[in-house]
Amino acid sequence: MKRALWATAVLCLSAAGVAQAYPEFQRYSKERSGRSINCALCHTHSDGPEGLRAGQIGSLTQEELDTLGLARQATAPGSGLKSPILNGFGNLMLDELGRDRIQELRQRPESLAESLPAGSDLDGDGIPDGQEYLDGTHPLNSLDGQPLKLFRNNLGRHGFHIAMMVLATALGLYGLHNAILWLSTQTGKEK
Amino acid sequence: MRPDWLRRGLDYLSERLPVQKMSFESLVTKKVVPVHRMSWAYYMGGLALLFFLIQLVTGVFLLFYYQPTVSDAHASVEYITYYVNSGFLVRNLHTWSSSCMILCLMVHALTTFAMKAFARPREVTWLTGSMLLALTFAFGFTGYLLPWHQIAVNATKVVLQSIEEAGRYLPGALSGLPTYVKEIIQGEASVGQATLSRFYALHVVILPLLFFGVLGLHLLCVQLHGMSQGTDTPARRSEKFFPIFMLKDFWLWGVAFLVVFVLAYCLPFESFYPYPLFEPYDSLGSTPDGIKPEWYFYFIYYPLELLPFWVVMLGQTLGGAALFMTPWIFKNTSRKVLGIIATLVSAYLIVITIFGHDIYEMFKGGGA
Amino acid sequence: MFDLLIFVALPYVALLSLVVGSWVRYRTHAFSYSSLSTQFLEDRWLLWASAPWHAGIIVVLLGHLAAFAVPGWWTAFMATPAFLTVVESVGLLCGWMCLGGLVIFLVRRFVNARLQAVTTLADVLVVLVLMAQVGTGLAVAVNHRWGAAWAPGALGPYLHGVLTLRPDVSVLTDMPPFVKLHIASAWVLLAMFPFTRLVHVLSLPLRYITRAPQRVVWTSSRASVRFEERAATDNERRLFLRAALSAGAGVALLSMGTLDKFFKYFLKQDLTEDEQAHLLSAKLRRLKQTAEERELELERMSRDAILVAPMAELSTTRGKYFIDYQMRPALAFKDAEGLPIVISAKCTHLGCTVGQDVDAQGRILCPCHVSYFDIKTGQPNLGAPAKEALPRLGWALKDGNGKVLLVQDPSGGREGSAEPGQLATSLLYILKRYA
Repeated sequence: MKRALWATAVLCLSAAGVAQAYPEFQRYSKERSGRSINCALCHTHSDGPEGLRAGQIGSLTQEELDTLGLARQATAPGSGLKSPILNGFGNLMLDELGRDRIQELRQRPESLAESLPAGSDLDGDGIPDGQEYLDGTHPLNSLDGQPLKLFRNNLGRHGFHIAMMVLATALGLYGLHNAILWLSTQTGKEK
Repeated sequence: MRPDWLRRGLDYLSERLPVQKMSFESLVTKKVVPVHRMSWAYYMGGLALLFFLIQLVTGVFLLFYYQPTVSDAHASVEYITYYVNSGFLVRNLHTWSSSCMILCLMVHALTTFAMKAFARPREVTWLTGSMLLALTFAFGFTGYLLPWHQIAVNATKVVLQSIEEAGRYLPGALSGLPTYVKEIIQGEASVGQATLSRFYALHVVILPLLFFGVLGLHLLCVQLHGMSQGTDTPARRSEKFFPIFMLKDFWLWGVAFLVVFVLAYCLPFESFYPYPLFEPYDSLGSTPDGIKPEWYFYFIYYPLELLPFWVVMLGQTLGGAALFMTPWIFKNTSRKVLGIIATLVSAYLIVITIFGHDIYEMFKGGGA
Repeated sequence: MFDLLIFVALPYVALLSLVVGSWVRYRTHAFSYSSLSTQFLEDRWLLWASAPWHAGIIVVLLGHLAAFAVPGWWTAFMATPAFLTVVESVGLLCGWMCLGGLVIFLVRRFVNARLQAVTTLADVLVVLVLMAQVGTGLAVAVNHRWGAAWAPGALGPYLHGVLTLRPDVSVLTDMPPFVKLHIASAWVLLAMFPFTRLVHVLSLPLRYITRAPQRVVWTSSRASVRFEERAATDNERRLFLRAALSAGAGVALLSMGTLDKFFKYFLKQDLTEDEQAHLLSAKLRRLKQTAEERELELERMSRDAILVAPMAELSTTRGKYFIDYQMRPALAFKDAEGLPIVISAKCTHLGCTVGQDVDAQGRILCPCHVSYFDIKTGQPNLGAPAKEALPRLGWALKDGNGKVLLVQDPSGGREGSAEPGQLATSLLYILKRYA
């Protein structure tokens, strides 16, 4: 059974052509931000596209392999294809830039951010995808972002709620304050 | 006719636990808090208590959804974070408040030390306090593993491995002991389901029960003995514990709660770490960069990285012993010397916690 | 045209009159800055007119002010249905209180002879316009419900336009007549403001809040004691009331915005089908992964040899991860001669999984504490945190028919032989006896 698995894996690999990851982007992001980054920045699996695990080429069904083949021919932007080994950010790059452009950007990974659509913020944490790439944070994880930026964005977002909370706590404490003072007048009386 | 030793024993105990002071009068009406330069330190214990209460409430909340199995733990934490109403807030409160609690306890311990509040008759207070500190670290260590992400499992492995390492420095028959201890904690050959179950039981049932017991004794002692003088000459001013000090304490609680609330609401604790560390643990994949324990273990972690193992182990054992023996070791030390020691220890803690990584890079940087 | 007259010309006339009129009256008749009290002439009816009117109008005005001053926050507030209901009900109640008060004001002026003597036309006019104002407001509230939610968005831009000198009537053209009337009469009120008793709004005795309390000194000691006792009881009552009220208000506020969210934490979570499917598939993936691991464990218990990979799959630069007999990660490479290198991937320092990429010096890196291991010998680099070599694993090469060609034990001793041609097609196994 294991052998059969291997055989299909070999077949898949040859059918889909040689797997290509683009470590230049990962390396650049890592150097610029000083954060450790892995293949999960753009790929489904954190160890990259090669292998037998979920999200790696070896695990794909025939249907998914066909999609992968199509995605690999998407040299121009706007193909609308979703490659099964890429995550949302990887697919955004594929759709917005096309493979030719990505190939070209490999030489100057610093300009990837400005090539992405300016307002695009896939995880909705208020930090645009391109900026997240520069910061070495994950564009698909709303909890991952430069702490200060996240804090500022969320503070603006929840400002109303926080103001309510402050007001409620202040009122409650004022009540407690008076309750304790009242209690102290009562204890004084007993004496 | 009581034998002499029994009488002395009872005298000793009644001085440490003066239960005759358990009256409304001495606990409420007459109790005062000295006012002096270090008065702010009297609030630290209460603050830690607030954070413990937050931990208790949010912890119970998390229990509703968390699943302690290797296949579901990470998924259930994700479910809490992304799908449950205000689940993110609850979980982030738990994380932030745990850090705040440990910070408060550290400051509490150091100031108590510097003010010589452990001196007779408050030995029991100090001992129970040290136990609470140790229990809190145990809480931190066991809780860290529960989300079952890369950093959690790998950091736990690192710590457990370093226990085993101690075996090398033990003589003969004893050398197998650390491995034995490690296997008891781990429950199986490597960190796996058995470990998760154990840590879960510890974090959720055993440690809280212990904590309640020790905390009860600690608070009882604090109440019976009242606030320690804290300075060499008795403070010229004092304020009533009830209601004045209590009021201030509650206002401080309010402010502290709001600070933690805002932090928990707006700043995911995970954003301080790179994202690969928060992917589910994968025993068959590679380990991501930057595995580290939580910041409050840096004071022991970075020395482990930089110094020979036996030096650190020796230092740790001595430090731990000194912590528990403080009331007797420093019995006759002046507050001035205690203050200097406390300042040095705080300086060490601050420097290693903030600059630990830079120091590490300086000595071990480059790798090759 | 009519709209322009009422909603653009009138406002500016009103505002001009308000500012200039108030200023001039203050400069010339400072002592007339109040409403002439009629309390001495009649006080029983006055209570029932003045109290509900003032209580109601203050709440309503503050509500209007908040809605138009901080529309964003106000709208966020109103997004909670419970809160919207409360605000609307309170507003409506206050509106009715105002109207009731005004009616009594008016009736009182007409039925009491002493009052009639001091009543001016302006007094009656003010009450009438105020009645129109409150009446249209109530009509809007009853006929076009949930104004607290829609008004800031619908009318805010008009008001903002007037105040920033860029009036825009277009938002008002399709408004219902009651709304238009309400706005128009508001401008009329503002225009009348400096010429009527309404100016007393500007002479609020705010200093009373901060001035020192008056102390009453008693000449007889009995009276003094009784007074002190009463003061103490009053103080207790005040403390208790303050405690109860503000704690209650705090809890009420909490339950509007925060506690309800925490309450929802415990309800059944409402997920879309997509979300449920996503969650379930993620869970399934994890279960499969766990099952895979268990399968590996079982395989390692029951088999004497386990396939690592066909030799053709191995590379000299990138290791292939597999799981050894102790369920620890291990790596397989190919050396220059095409023979396998099989080595544990569990770092001897603190047990992290070592990386799979071979660097130029033929080493692999443990990322946790930066130890480089030579893949041939397993030795760590000098000064690395790891002191011991990665153990080498024993292995066997078999051909396609399962015949053993070559075996190597962990210390490097070999048995058997393999032709280069056979090597490329052979399969790499690890053996239980070397585990």
